[in-house]
Amino acid sequence: MKRSKFLVSFTMAVAFAGLAICGANAQQSSKPDNKAIALTGLPGVKDDAKGKLTVENGKLHFVYGKKSSDVSVASIEDVVTGEDTQAAVGKTVSNLSMAAPYGSGRFLALFRTKFDTLTIRYRDENGALHGVIFALPASGAEPIKKELLAQGAHTTVGEAQAAAGTAPANAPSKEQKQ
Amino acid sequence: MKRYANAILCLAVVSVAFVARPLCAGEAQPVKAKASAIQVEMIHSDEIKLPAEFQISLYENLVRQLEKQGGFEHVYRDGDRRAKDAPDLVILHSTVRGFKEGSERTRRVTTVAGATSITIHCEFKNPDGKVLLEKDVNGKVWFFGGNLRATYDFAKKTARMAHDNFNSSEHKS
Repeated sequence: MKRSKFLVSFTMAVAFAGLAICGANAQQSSKPDNKAIALTGLPGVKDDAKGKLTVENGKLHFVYGKKSSDVSVASIEDVVTGEDTQAAVGKTVSNLSMAAPYGSGRFLALFRTKFDTLTIRYRDENGALHGVIFALPASGAEPIKKELLAQGAHTTVGEAQAAAGTAPANAPSKEQKQ
Repeated sequence: MKRYANAILCLAVVSVAFVARPLCAGEAQPVKAKASAIQVEMIHSDEIKLPAEFQISLYENLVRQLEKQGGFEHVYRDGDRRAKDAPDLVILHSTVRGFKEGSERTRRVTTVAGATSITIHCEFKNPDGKVLLEKDVNGKVWFFGGNLRATYDFAKKTARMAHDNFNSSEHKS
């Protein structure tokens, strides 16, 4: 009797472990689907538009519904991810509530999930400065940032971190509050 | 009887004078400076570390609100070459003076704590660098909404201030 109980529980444990491993493998093998929310600043795109963000042929490409919007990678002056911000400012700002449109974060925050942000600055053909903020699934911003940098975009994060390294007395957490 | 009527008349004249005075004062509006275009510079936050999202959100909201309710014929962005030729251009410099990032969760739970607040020093200058108007503007989110709503609050207040102090048409100024 004892032996059969042990066998049942052992079989169940093995089954659960197998399921967990399969799940983890499926997560690893599945490609990122590049889902993103254009929070603000993308020309011709409504705030909080949901779509897919990719980098191809020297352009940052955001597709939402049947429409799309492009930003030339060469015109990008700065790319910052939520993790960069966290490192610079010392506080996480990449919660889902940030991604929510004004007001609706109250509801969405009940299902709080970590989100990542991708903030971009670029200049148009007239030299005018634009800023765009995207919200992406957790850790989704870094691969896009790397692709952008590989295709010719710039970032100020390295410079800022170097400056912070030379001047450690500037504790960011103290500077935040007036 | 006649004396009594005179006294009432005097009293009526005095009271009319007292009532009319503040009404007249209320009609007098501050003289608006003439400005047909405004150029919004990127928000500076040298002394206070501001998350990049906040900086961009402040800038984008500011441009949007000035286009909506600023009353200017043109709103130019930072670095826009077309601004050079704009007549009566005003340049808006904004510097972050204070930033306290609150928590939406705390706001939701307590309703009294967790407010996000941002204070920005705004300077409206002419192209020669002369300051036409300067003021500290505060953006806050007290109860509902994400932290970025503070940037929307700031932008609305600044656009209203610009609308109240500058006028794009000649005949109104």
